[in-house]
Amino acid sequence: MTAHIRQLPAETVNRIAAGEVIERPASVVKELVENAIDAGAREIDIVTVAGGLSLIRVTDDGHGMDRANLNLAVERHATSKLPADDLLDIRSLGFRGEALPSIGSVGYLSIASCQHGARDGLEVIVDRGSKQPIKPAALNAGSRVEVRDLFSATPARLKFLKSERSENMAVSEVVKRLAMAHPEVGFALTTGERTGLRLPRADLSGDGLLQRLGRIMGREFMADALPIDGERDGIRVSGFAGLPTLHRPDPSQQFLFVNTRPVKDKLLIGAVRAAYGDLIPKGRYPLLALFVELSPQEVDVNVHPAKAEVRFRDAGRVRSLLIGALRFALENAGHRATARGGTLTVETLVARSEPPAAAPFAYRATSQAAASHLPRGFSDAMQAPFAAFDEPSADSSAAQDEVAPDLLDHPLGAARAQLHETYIVAQTRVSVVIVDQHAAHERLVYERMKKMLSNGGVARQGLLIPAIVDVGDEEAAALNDKADELAELGLVLEGFGNGAVAVREMPALLGDTDIEGLVKDLAAEILDNGQGFALLDRLEAVCSRMACHGSVRAGRRLTPSEMNALLREMEATPYSGQCNHGRPTYVELKLTDIERLFGRR
Amino acid sequence: MRLVIERGELLRALGHVTSVVERRTTIPILSNVLLRAGNGKLSLKATDLEREVIEDVAATVSAPGAVTVPAHMLHDIVRKLPDGAEIEIKRDPEKERLTITAGQSRFALQTLGPEDFPDIAAGDLAHSFELGAADLKRLIEKTRFAISTEETRYYLNGIFLHVAEKGSSRTLRAVATDGHRLAQVELSRPEGAEGMPGVIIPRKTVHELHRLIEASSAPVKIGVSPSKVRFEIGTVTLTSKLIDGTFPDYGRVIPQGNDKELTVSNADFIGAVDRVSTIASERGRAVKLNITGDKLVLSVNNPEGGSATEEIGVGYTASPLEIGFNARYLLDIASQLEGDEAHFLLADPGSPTMIRDGGDDTALYVLMPMRV
Ligand SMILES: Nc1ncnc2c1ncn2[C@@H]1O[C@H](COP(=O)(O)OP(=O)(O)OP(=O)(O)O)[C@@H](O)[C@H]1O
Ligand SMILES: [Mg+2]
Repeated sequence: MTAHIRQLPAETVNRIAAGEVIERPASVVKELVENAIDAGAREIDIVTVAGGLSLIRVTDDGHGMDRANLNLAVERHATSKLPADDLLDIRSLGFRGEALPSIGSVGYLSIASCQHGARDGLEVIVDRGSKQPIKPAALNAGSRVEVRDLFSATPARLKFLKSERSENMAVSEVVKRLAMAHPEVGFALTTGERTGLRLPRADLSGDGLLQRLGRIMGREFMADALPIDGERDGIRVSGFAGLPTLHRPDPSQQFLFVNTRPVKDKLLIGAVRAAYGDLIPKGRYPLLALFVELSPQEVDVNVHPAKAEVRFRDAGRVRSLLIGALRFALENAGHRATARGGTLTVETLVARSEPPAAAPFAYRATSQAAASHLPRGFSDAMQAPFAAFDEPSADSSAAQDEVAPDLLDHPLGAARAQLHETYIVAQTRVSVVIVDQHAAHERLVYERMKKMLSNGGVARQGLLIPAIVDVGDEEAAALNDKADELAELGLVLEGFGNGAVAVREMPALLGDTDIEGLVKDLAAEILDNGQGFALLDRLEAVCSRMACHGSVRAGRRLTPSEMNALLREMEATPYSGQCNHGRPTYVELKLTDIERLFGRR
Repeated sequence: MRLVIERGELLRALGHVTSVVERRTTIPILSNVLLRAGNGKLSLKATDLEREVIEDVAATVSAPGAVTVPAHMLHDIVRKLPDGAEIEIKRDPEKERLTITAGQSRFALQTLGPEDFPDIAAGDLAHSFELGAADLKRLIEKTRFAISTEETRYYLNGIFLHVAEKGSSRTLRAVATDGHRLAQVELSRPEGAEGMPGVIIPRKTVHELHRLIEASSAPVKIGVSPSKVRFEIGTVTLTSKLIDGTFPDYGRVIPQGNDKELTVSNADFIGAVDRVSTIASERGRAVKLNITGDKLVLSVNNPEGGSATEEIGVGYTASPLEIGFNARYLLDIASQLEGDEAHFLLADPGSPTMIRDGGDDTALYVLMPMRV
C-alpha cells in the first residue's frame, strides 16, 4: 500500500508549531506578557493557578484590538508587527504571528480586548483549535488573555512537565527577566493564592532601573552595582555589574538583553569571564544585568523557537565592547570592595549584642572557639596557658599621634592602629576602615607582577622535543587561528596534521608543566567562546602564588607610616579591593551603621 | 620471636630501609617495617609498593619469627637509645605487641601480621652485571638534575639506562630529560649487560639508590628485567618497579652539526651567571649571552628590577652570536662539569646547544635556548 502525501489540517499544523513555541506554562506566560509589552501596556497583571495548567491570565492596559484584529490575532502567521515584511528590521518582541494560534491549539484560549475610546469590548475564544464566533465582553481598555486547561489537547506534553513548584519558578523567572528590561512597566504576578511579585512602575529618569534590578537581583546587588555605559560603532551597552567581591557559584544571576529582549548567550558568559578575569575566584560568577542596544539590522533574532538566542552580525565587536565597558567600570572601582562586608559585620554585631555583664564571658568564648571544636586530647587538657600571655596584642601606637587632617580625606583614611598584627584600623571622616594587611599587600604585589609580565614580554623556553598534542581537527584549526595571540603569551605552536599540534616553545614562567593538559583546555575554550583563557589563567596563577610569598604576612608589626603607605597604594591600584582569592581586602563600617549599633539611630 | 641486637647495627639498617616508607599512606601496613628473625640474623624490609629495601643484620636469635611494626616510630626509638646499647626485641604472642628493651627503657609497639606485608616478587632477573659504586654514582649524579617532575609525561620521570654504541665501542648509557634540557653520560659496557632491555628507573628509586651508595665503595650488583631492577649493595638490596613507558628517541635532539665552539673557564662562567642572575627576580628569566671575538658578555635585563652585565674572556672564532638561556638551567649543567673548561657547541638562537665537559668526554648536555 502506498501512503498518500496530503496537506495537514490547520489544527495539526498549529499543534506542531505549538510543540516548538509552547514548551511549558512559562512559555505561554512569556508570549502573553511579550504581547502586552508590544501593545504598549503600562501595567501588566499575571495570574496562574496550578502551575499554569488550569489557568493563566494576563491582563494589560495596552492599546487593545478592534474586531478585525481580534479575528486575525488567533490565525496562524497573522501579525501586526512586521509592517514592511522585513525580518531584518524587527523592533518588537513578537514578529511571527505564531504565539496565539499555537496556544489556542493546545488549550482553551479566550482573548477579550477593548480599544481605548471604544464603547464595548469583544471576546474571541479558541477551544483546542476550534475558533468560536466573536462576542461582546465587558472590560476596561486593554486586553485580557486567559488560557485554561493547557495541554489538554496534547496529553503527551503533560507527562513531561515538572512539579507545580518548578513550573511556578519558571513562570516567575520569565516575568522577572522581562521586567528587568522594562522598568517603565509595572508588573504583578500572583501564583495560586500567593502574591509572587509586585514591581511598581519605575521612573527612568532617576535610578529606576537600578531599583528594579535590586528588587529582582537582591539588595546586595543594588549596593554593590557599578553602572556600565559604553558605546562604539553604533552599539551601546548599559546596565549594572556587581563588584568582584560579590559572586555566586553559578552564572544564574548574569542577565543579558539585546534590544530589550532577554537572551541566553555564551558570548556574555565569555566576555564577563574575560573582563573579571582573576578578580573572581575560580568557579564563582559575578552578578550583572547588561543591556545591549544596536540597530535591528545588526542582529538576527529569528534563530531560536523561543527567541532565547540571537545572532550578532559582528559578535567580536559586541564582545570587545562588553569587555571594554566592564573593565573600565571595574578599574575605576579601584579599591572599592563589597559593601556587604560592612553590612554583614554590622548585622552580626547587632545580632550578638548582649547585656554588658555578659561581655567578658563572650570574649572568652570567642578566643577559645577554635580549640573547642577539636577533640580534647589528654595533653590539651593538661597544658594550661599563661592567661596573661594569651591576650590578643593591640599595637595602638598610631592612635597616640594626632591625625593629619588631610589623611582623613583619603577614601581609606588615616591609619590609627594595628590589631593582632594583622588588621589595620583606619579612620575617615565618615567611617572606620579595617584592612586585612596580608590580603591587601598580596593583591598589590600581584598587580605589580602582572604589570611586569606585560611590560617585559613573556619569555619563552624552547622545547628540545616538540610536544605533539592530539586535539582533533576542529580544535587544531582553532588553535592555529589563535597562534599569534598565544605566541605573545609565550606559547608557540603549529599544526602537525591529523588533528594534532606541535608545541615548540612554552612560557618560561610555567617551568616543567603539563603541556598537553594546557593545550587541550585552550582548544576547548577557544571553540566554546572564541578565546582561550587557560594560558593567561596559569600565568596569572604563578604570579599570584609568587605574590603570596612576597607579601607582608599577617603577624608583622607595621609602623604608622608603613600602614598609611599601604592604604595609599591600595587607593592607587586598580582591583585592590579584593585579594587574589576573591575575598575583600578591607571592610568599611559607616559611622551611621555604628551609631545604629548603639541605638543612636 | 626473640632476639638481641646491637643498637648501632640496627640503627644503620633502619636508616637504610625506612626512607622508602611514605609518611602518609592510606594502607596501614605500608607504614610498617617487616622484621624477620632466624639463622643468626634479623632481616628488615620496607616498601611503598613501587620499590622495596631489604637489609640483613647479625643478631642473637633465641626464637625465630616475623612481625611488622611502625617503621618511623621504631627508627626514632632506636635513634634515641644510647650508643652501644644492647637491644632486646621480643614478641608477646597473646598481646600482639612487640616489646623493645634496652637498659631501663622499655617500649611496647602495636604490631600487624607479617603475612599481609606486600612483596614486589621480582624473582629472577634475566640480566645481571656489576658496577663500581663510583661509576654508578657518576651515572646518577650527572643526569638526575634533568629528570622531569611533570607527571603527565611520566616516561620522562626517570633515568633511561640502556646499552648503546659509541663509535665501535659498546657502552652503558644513562639519559634524562625534562624536554628543556638533556643529560647523557656513559661508561664502557660491563660484562653481562649485553642484551639488556632499555629501562626507565623512577626518580624516587634513583634518589634512594644514591643515598644507599653514597657512603659505600663496594661494587654494586645490578639485575634487570623488562619490568624490574634490583641493586645489591653489600647487605642491602633495593628492588624497584620500572616506569612502564617508551623513552623518546633522544638521539634526534642531540645536535650533530653545531660548529660554533665556545670555550670558557667553567668557574668564571658559573660565577658570572650566578652574579648577573641576581637581578632576575622571577623564575624563568633569561641570561643573554653575547659572543663576539674572544669575549662573552652575559646580561640580564629585568624591566622592573634593573639590569646586570658581566664580561669574560673566552675562546671563540666563529661569527658573533646572541643567545638566551634560563639561568638556572645553565647553572645546573655547569655545576656538573668536572674539568676546568666548558665547551659550548652552538648553532643559532633558536636551536639546541650542546655543552661538553673539558675534563670528561663521556658526558654531554643539551640545552634549548630561551627567547624574549
Ligand atoms: N495583548 C495584546 N494587545 C493588543 N494586541 C495584541 C495583544 N496580543 C496579541 N495582539 C495582536 O495579535 C497579534 C498576534 O499575536 P501573536 O503573539 O500570535 O503574534 P506576534 O506577537 O505578532 O508574533 P510572535 O508569534 O512572534 O509572538 C499581534 O501581532 C498583535 O497585533
Ligand atoms: Mg506575540
